Amino acid sequence: MNNDKKPLLKVKDLKTHFHTEDGLVKAVDGISYEVYPGETLGIVGESGCGKSVNSLSIMRLLESNAEVHGEISFEDKSILKLSEPQMRKIRGNDIAMIFQEPMTALNPVFTVGDQIEEAIILHQKKSRDEAHQMAIDMLRKVGIPEPTKRVDEYPHELSGGMRQRAMIAMALSCNPRVLIADEPTTALDVTIQAQILELMKSLQDEYGMSIIMITHDLGVIAEVADRVVVMYAGKVVEYADAVTLFKNPKHPYTWGLLNAIPRLDIEQDTLYNIPGVVPDPLNFPKGCKFHTRCSFCQEKCKGEEPELIEVEQNHFVRCYYTEKVEEEKAKAKAGENA
Amino acid sequence: MTDLNKKEVLLEVKDLVKYFPIRAGVFKRVVAHVKAVDGVNFNVYKGETFGLVGESGCGKTTAGMTLMRLYDATSGSANFKGHGDLLKLKGTPLRNMRKDIQMIFQDPYSSLNPRMRVKNIIAEGIRTHHLAAGSEVDDKVADLMGKVGLSVDHMYRFPHEFSGGQRQRIGIARALAVNPDMIVCDEAVSALDVSIQAQVINLLNDIQEEFGLTFIFIAHDLAVVKHISDRIAVMYLGKIVEMTDKNSLFDNPLHPYTQALISAIPIPDPTHDKKRVILEGDVPSPINPPSGCRFHTRCPVAKEICSKEDPVFEEKANGHFVACHFVK
Repeated sequence: MNNDKKPLLKVKDLKTHFHTEDGLVKAVDGISYEVYPGETLGIVGESGCGKSVNSLSIMRLLESNAEVHGEISFEDKSILKLSEPQMRKIRGNDIAMIFQEPMTALNPVFTVGDQIEEAIILHQKKSRDEAHQMAIDMLRKVGIPEPTKRVDEYPHELSGGMRQRAMIAMALSCNPRVLIADEPTTALDVTIQAQILELMKSLQDEYGMSIIMITHDLGVIAEVADRVVVMYAGKVVEYADAVTLFKNPKHPYTWGLLNAIPRLDIEQDTLYNIPGVVPDPLNFPKGCKFHTRCSFCQEKCKGEEPELIEVEQNHFVRCYYTEKVEEEKAKAKAGENA
Repeated sequence: MTDLNKKEVLLEVKDLVKYFPIRAGVFKRVVAHVKAVDGVNFNVYKGETFGLVGESGCGKTTAGMTLMRLYDATSGSANFKGHGDLLKLKGTPLRNMRKDIQMIFQDPYSSLNPRMRVKNIIAEGIRTHHLAAGSEVDDKVADLMGKVGLSVDHMYRFPHEFSGGQRQRIGIARALAVNPDMIVCDEAVSALDVSIQAQVINLLNDIQEEFGLTFIFIAHDLAVVKHISDRIAVMYLGKIVEMTDKNSLFDNPLHPYTQALISAIPIPDPTHDKKRVILEGDVPSPINPPSGCRFHTRCPVAKEICSKEDPVFEEKANGHFVACHFVK
């Protein structure tokens, strides 16, 4: 598969802990993954699983109460060891990010053009006029009608879909190697979501960048991702290529999640119930973090946390009892045929 | 549909219109209207789940709020069995109507009073409508909390002590407390995580069966609506463009907007064959909606007639209503 290629971005045993008044929050607790050139890596999980903190750690945008350990290497640079001026050269230039809420991520008192030009002037040493022209070109590229007029408008004058396009234009204006998209379509309507996903795909083909797509929506992941990381309570519970993950999930959480979503393509009588709620990050359960909600939980799961093990080539799972999921799948299949 | 004709009509909505005035100038004169709901017709049958879907700004929530009398309708009628025209009720009859129609809101954070204990939130309706008194109230609340999967020990807690999914359960218990005939669920599961969403959807299905409830389920997520509804109406810019039972809607969508909407939904299967209809542009403003068919500015099959004449919303097949010039 990708083994012959060298990863562009490598995250190894990343731990991001926050010191809060209530105690230590282990938002990200030892995650590892690689991003290869030109691919899309999907990171999926529910709220509070640490997927956004992970991306902010890569961009070094965390607040001062955060403690980050582990290693993030981009090409041959170690991101966590860079000085702030060095980091500033990478941020927005080599690694860019688009956020969920385009209204809060854009500055309301500057025009869209100003905000795109800022990055171009900073990173590419262009004059204001050149940058302005480039901003117009970028807006045209992301499909904003009348870019010469829109470039001088303020964020509130644009619709939600257009703001997200403007943000993509901003992120791509310096031709980044890695684009981190944190829930880029969650706030948008489905028809607009389809437009934005299509746009991201065509821009990826054109520029050959890698994308880290962070979302809670398994449909979006299936649509765009080549490989997928499933996170739960600050840990990676399953890591595989997209087809394997969706066709042959091995972790009880992944399997449950896939059966819990209502689907258009399959008839379902009742949705699978993952009981309980996502555990409180101040007070994660001992042992396997998912054991409190897992229907296959055994004594062993409560005591010691399983390692992330490669069960098949390039398919990693953090569970002692993957065969239980297999039995369940076999049962479901038998039920279908009966 | 033949079997639906036998069913009892619980709610009959006719030409429902809700315009919000826009005021400007020194004298706050009305300068324009937001045409949020612009002539909507549908029936809801007893015991069914009627889904109302559409993108943001299509008027689905306004339609629900107007039926609940949380907004005053501009015109139209809504006949509810045993109450007459809901939109004309006043005083005691209006109060009585609220016992029979309840609502579950989208945001489980803002829809519960943070200063009230769970017990009082659930019991408020019981007391208002004199459905129980004294210790019976406590028994009833405990019973309801058990039914929606909340621990009875939590009766004296405040809303902030609960997670989003649990709060939504409190909202459901509150709606059930007065033993309604119909519940309007406005984006009741949209704010929840996937695993919690499945729990609440299953709970809604269970209580519907147990209490024989009728639901109007308003949501933007077509997959959720498909799972829970019997019949579905698709709204676009204040009008219903297509309405039918869920199987016809998903197997044979007739309106070009419905087709695009269904094709836009990402399927959680990477090997799924994707045939996409990508719509161009954004939803136009409801202040000044396009002439003729409101969808013609984004419609892939629009012709000249579409910008001139508004298509009639009519039955094109058995129980399958569509508003499009080109659907025969």
